[in-house]
Amino acid sequence: MLNKRHPLTMAGIHATMLVLVAWSVLPFLWTFQTSIKFTRDVAAKIPVLWGYETTANAYNSFWLDDDEINMWAVLAFIVGVGAVASLLGIAGRRVSKRGGRSWLWFAAVIAVLGLAVWLFPRLWETETEYEFLVNSIVVTVLTMIISLTIGMLAGYGLARYTGISGVVILIVALGFRALPRTAFVLPYFFGAKEVDDWLVSSGVGTWDFPLIDFPFIDQLTLLDTRLVLVMALVAVNQPFTIWMFRTFFIEVPKELEEAAMIDGASRLSAFFRVIVPIMWPAIIATGLFTLLLAYNEYLFVRVLAPTNWTLPVAIVSLTGGESSRTITEAAAASVSITLPIVVVIILFQKHLVKGLSAGAVKG
Amino acid sequence: MNRRTFWGFTLPSVVIMLVLMVFPLITTIWLGFHRLLIRDLNNPSWIGFANYQDVLTDPEFWSAFRFTMLFVVVTVPIQMIFGLGVALVLDAVGRGRSIYMAALLLPFIVTPVVGSLVFKDLFERGGLLSWLIEVVTDNPFAVEASNVKWLILIQSIWHVMPFAMITFFAGLQSLPEERMEASAIDGAGFWRNLWHVKIPHLRSLITFVGMISVMDAYRVYDSVFVWTGSRFTEAHTLQVYNVRVATAFDIGRLGKGNAIAVITVLGIFVVLIPFLWRSYKEQVSERL
Repeated sequence: MLNKRHPLTMAGIHATMLVLVAWSVLPFLWTFQTSIKFTRDVAAKIPVLWGYETTANAYNSFWLDDDEINMWAVLAFIVGVGAVASLLGIAGRRVSKRGGRSWLWFAAVIAVLGLAVWLFPRLWETETEYEFLVNSIVVTVLTMIISLTIGMLAGYGLARYTGISGVVILIVALGFRALPRTAFVLPYFFGAKEVDDWLVSSGVGTWDFPLIDFPFIDQLTLLDTRLVLVMALVAVNQPFTIWMFRTFFIEVPKELEEAAMIDGASRLSAFFRVIVPIMWPAIIATGLFTLLLAYNEYLFVRVLAPTNWTLPVAIVSLTGGESSRTITEAAAASVSITLPIVVVIILFQKHLVKGLSAGAVKG
Repeated sequence: MNRRTFWGFTLPSVVIMLVLMVFPLITTIWLGFHRLLIRDLNNPSWIGFANYQDVLTDPEFWSAFRFTMLFVVVTVPIQMIFGLGVALVLDAVGRGRSIYMAALLLPFIVTPVVGSLVFKDLFERGGLLSWLIEVVTDNPFAVEASNVKWLILIQSIWHVMPFAMITFFAGLQSLPEERMEASAIDGAGFWRNLWHVKIPHLRSLITFVGMISVMDAYRVYDSVFVWTGSRFTEAHTLQVYNVRVATAFDIGRLGKGNAIAVITVLGIFVVLIPFLWRSYKEQVSERL
């Protein structure tokens, strides 16, 4: 039974909320404004808040190589791709609620997005920044796949095993979770350099490794590649992943997989056939935080990939200058990198909140 | 689950953590005893504790240490109290809660460097708030050595508050209805209710958020670096100082950088060990 509040109290609560929302999003709104202004308005002594002429020049010069491109067409392309992807996603959710084969629809969403990323530079001439976007995507996706697969298995093992070594692994992992990046990044750099020296001198590096590195590369090395970023991110993400999965798996009754194992399934196949299908919420929640970790990473990329950046480093590199041109460009870049995150919040808010509080519930 | 199956499941993860976390940490300690320059990476030479001596007598280290402590002491309590307050308001909202929550989450999950950047733009010359401050105080305002520390602290609270908010909110949601009703029947007002019912219910969450916040504040890098770059050295945290020493163009001293990293890790373990010990005890007793 909820006691009805006085309408005036409710109004006060909503007013407070609006102030808090303003505090949260004001910087983003201001940056968005900056990104669509002409430089003369950005440089104005008194901020121009409305009635200014808008432009997509900043987006154009950050992403595209050609000033003559019609930015409305680019916008239409992005909105179109987004619309197709969300329609497929909505269809997938409908199907999954009726218990059908929803993964086909979600695979289609990923296929559409992948196709769009592939198609974009073929439709318009892009700057190097587009390669950094591709780096961001590849590093994030690979980190998610590897980190979740390995972490899921370990999390399950740790949830079911009662020996003391399990506890020791968990506690050591918890300790590692608290360590600063600088405790790892210099050895990574130094170690990657040693490995590279060995790869070059022994000739092993001439092996070809598509996808992770740029295709058709002659010499496999670690420094300045996506591979080293994925390795570093998977490693620092492991403690978090295994804890999160363990917290979720420990809630699942043992009888579920035991029933399957009595029917003759091995532990591993019981895990994949019985546990994984009911644990999608846990996988999504953990996956979201892995996604954010990889997508947001700055220091590792800065040190381990001196030229082959991802987006955060590309944006920070714009900020040294004081000219209004780089200010609008940095604003456009900030808006571009933030939009996918806004989409993630809108689509997966429930999972994010669940993931944030999952670690907490156990204390 | 028997021992063999357990190791089968956990081995990949354990191997990754051994090779890419334990081994690098040992390398960090080992390199901390060496003279190793970024322009001459192939010749580390053993110099014993000289790096540590160098770090501990470096006034910039102590300045970074002081600012890091100030950072922890200021941001953690404010962010937690603020987060609890917002969680209480959010708990009282009926309709429209998820829209508010989405907007409030944004600063927390946005790319940290971008979060700092957009916040900083408000205060730079030509920014909205720097103009407002100028109108109010009649003095021109820009990010400079005298105010950058406070701006960093405010921005950090802006950045991390949603974590405390969401965790406390989830805790409040799990508060049994009967207890709220019982206290309403007793005629408890808002404050007594908060003090005697809600806060005791959230106690373990408060410890949890406190621990995580202390650790994260202690090792903050991204968001501070964007404000200072290599300028404003008095507003550098330990991490920013560490990276600056280790990667400074042409004169980067990796050995000294690793020594700083080791000192930083030792610092965090002072806070961490009681917490780890408590968790260990808990896990051992839960397992039976």
